[in-house]
Amino acid sequence: MSGARSLALGAAAVLGGCARGAREDAVIRFAVARPPRNLDPRLATDATSERVNRLLYRTLVRLDAAARPVPGLARWEQLGATRYRFRLGEQGRLFSDGSRLTAHDVVATLASIRAPGSRSPHRAALAGIAALRARDDDTLELALHAPDTALPSRLVLAVLPAAAIARDHPFVTAPIGSGPLRLVERPGPDALLLERRADGQRIALVTVRDPSVRVMKLLRGEVDLLQGDLPPELVDHLARAPGIAVRAVPGANLSYLGFNLEDPRTGSLAVRRAIAQAIDRPLLIDTLLGGRARLAESILPPEHWAGRGDLAPWPHDPERARALLAGAGFGPGNPLRLTLKTSSDPFRLRLAGALQAQLAAAGIALAVQGHDWGTFFGDVKAGRFSLYALTWVGVRSPDIFRYALHSESLPPGGANRGRYRNASVDRLIATAARAPSLAAARAPYAALQAIVHAELALVPLWYEDQVAAQRATIRGYRPAGDGNYDGLAQVVRVPVAAEEE
Amino acid sequence: MGALLGRLGEAAASLLGVCTLVFLLIHLVPGDPVAAMLGEGARAVDQIELRAALGLDRPLWTQYLDYLGGLARLDLGASLHSGRAVTALLAERAGPTLELAVAALALAVVVALPLGVLAALHQGGWIDRVAMGFSMLGAAIPNFWLGPLLILVCSLWLGWTPVSGRDGPLSLLLPALTLGTGLAAVLARMVRSSLLEVLGEDYVRTARAKGAGPVRVLWRHALRNAWLPVLTLLGLQFGALLGGAVITETVFAWPGLGSLVVESIQARDYPLVQGAVLVIALAYLVVNTLTDLLYLALDPRIRSR
Repeated sequence: MSGARSLALGAAAVLGGCARGAREDAVIRFAVARPPRNLDPRLATDATSERVNRLLYRTLVRLDAAARPVPGLARWEQLGATRYRFRLGEQGRLFSDGSRLTAHDVVATLASIRAPGSRSPHRAALAGIAALRARDDDTLELALHAPDTALPSRLVLAVLPAAAIARDHPFVTAPIGSGPLRLVERPGPDALLLERRADGQRIALVTVRDPSVRVMKLLRGEVDLLQGDLPPELVDHLARAPGIAVRAVPGANLSYLGFNLEDPRTGSLAVRRAIAQAIDRPLLIDTLLGGRARLAESILPPEHWAGRGDLAPWPHDPERARALLAGAGFGPGNPLRLTLKTSSDPFRLRLAGALQAQLAAAGIALAVQGHDWGTFFGDVKAGRFSLYALTWVGVRSPDIFRYALHSESLPPGGANRGRYRNASVDRLIATAARAPSLAAARAPYAALQAIVHAELALVPLWYEDQVAAQRATIRGYRPAGDGNYDGLAQVVRVPVAAEEE
Repeated sequence: MGALLGRLGEAAASLLGVCTLVFLLIHLVPGDPVAAMLGEGARAVDQIELRAALGLDRPLWTQYLDYLGGLARLDLGASLHSGRAVTALLAERAGPTLELAVAALALAVVVALPLGVLAALHQGGWIDRVAMGFSMLGAAIPNFWLGPLLILVCSLWLGWTPVSGRDGPLSLLLPALTLGTGLAAVLARMVRSSLLEVLGEDYVRTARAKGAGPVRVLWRHALRNAWLPVLTLLGLQFGALLGGAVITETVFAWPGLGSLVVESIQARDYPLVQGAVLVIALAYLVVNTLTDLLYLALDPRIRSR
């Protein structure tokens, strides 16, 4: 595809911001790389669906920029160690079918998620709830099995109407939410026509999988806006194109290199340190990502309430890496041979190739195996790897530490894919979970991140920026660090004359 | 009648074989749909309950028999991820796929027939060389290159067509051209070689000796007989087109079966993969069975065997 991409870039350079094919209706067209598969927020697992559902529904609780829980539909108070009361406010109480959102709807939504045999990925998050009841239309009470300060964070869940749940309404295709947007129709299998409830502005979600084609549609004016999933060369090109505005914000999705700690080679700390010091992350960010990423030292970004910004990076030092390998018994006569598994995504393969070259400079022979996503991820979960490269997407909760690093979270019971076991880290995770407040949980989380960083349970690579590109007629859209589409709740189209200025 | 029944029996057996193979393959490749639905953070008890609710905890042969039972009732089940009926998901993709397949094939036939005929009639001449040069080029250009190139020229430079999407007749032009070019190239070569073979036959010489003009010789005697291998190729190609053209669909954001199959395989959405492959296999079988039946109708020698 690179030849075609070069051609496209060349053509676009000639065309600049030509809008010959621009639509003249008032609909704002937003191009996405993958279609939303499931508009039932209880069941959706793909990123596009989750981002669209944030616009169609409102959640009981929201997370602020530091991922602290803040009131969404409801404010809450803790009545005791295991009891919470949520009181619904007045904002966002009208469902798109005209009915009013009440505490009974919240109870019905949570109950449907917790029902035996539920297909909801949120079921585990609600496992700590012992009882819930609606005291009246505006008040909800929850009782827990055990104290859990993170409970409000677990209730970032969309609320659906109880009556529709009872009649088994197909939310998957016909959402009924109280969010800022509503679904008007599905013009095709991979398209949605949405309407902003406040002002009637219509927004079409158009799926265009090929990034070059997505860019060409933006340049020609067939779409007004796109976000994410663009290779850096296309972002660079758009940044130079007249009539197109590119905006990047720091992202929060962590790209990392995972080790299998049950493999005798990658189980050795010296080997892991050698690998970490053989990788020139700033160079990879500059060359592979066009500089649109920031170095990462932990799973959570520094601005997260539980994140750390003071962990010293492992410096790029191939000589030190060679020395560490020599100490571990590897050298020119007995080179360290490893295999990196990755998905067949072109960017992932490019990254694997770059890592291969950098590790070779430190005397490590890295073989690369690219597989289709299902096979690759299956292998990772089953522990059939020495090294793998992946990205944690949409991580907002410090529960990620239990989920990804606790010794009881080995797959299939969790995401501790590297089989990392450290009793101190397990204790710190438990201490943080028992902490009476978020502030009190910070210290144990900070301590465990220092241990994980020193032991290199994984090599954090970077947090990639979120990039949006839009035509000059589009205003008010701001990309979010986690890649959500919340900006569609404010985006507006200005008169064409403004584009020509 | 016997040949017809035999052909239909073979088609049914092939279909059962495809269903069985797909069922086994999709269950044997790594990847767990329950894990994909609940995420890695799911508790073991939730996974067990959901596995039971979906019937995935039962022996494979029981699941297979259920699957066949569902097929007999034309029930392909529901997608594990969207929860929608597989038949509904396939139905909304079948139209665009059929539309694109018919357009690409029609385009290929319109281009390839005259090209192949002209090349055969002027064998060794400059027309033959140009036609076969085009054919070689058409077969050599990959769709992932031709598609963006056509977008570049026709959409961005000339502004004639939409870049991508399924939005009116004009939007069909570029994907059909992308898919049809390769087909036309192969077809033109087949028409040429088939016609050359027939033009050297005794009955063609006889027709000429009887005073038949070149047009009559071509249409009445040569093309009718050269048609059979071309029909076979057309049947195979049409079947392949109905199976979805993943690359073309991806480049042109065409909502067809091909991209649906790829996505459902990646998501380990068993019922959707099984349903989609079944429809594709069925399309192949129907088209090729029809081709065989057309053979029977066109060629008395086959009927008399």
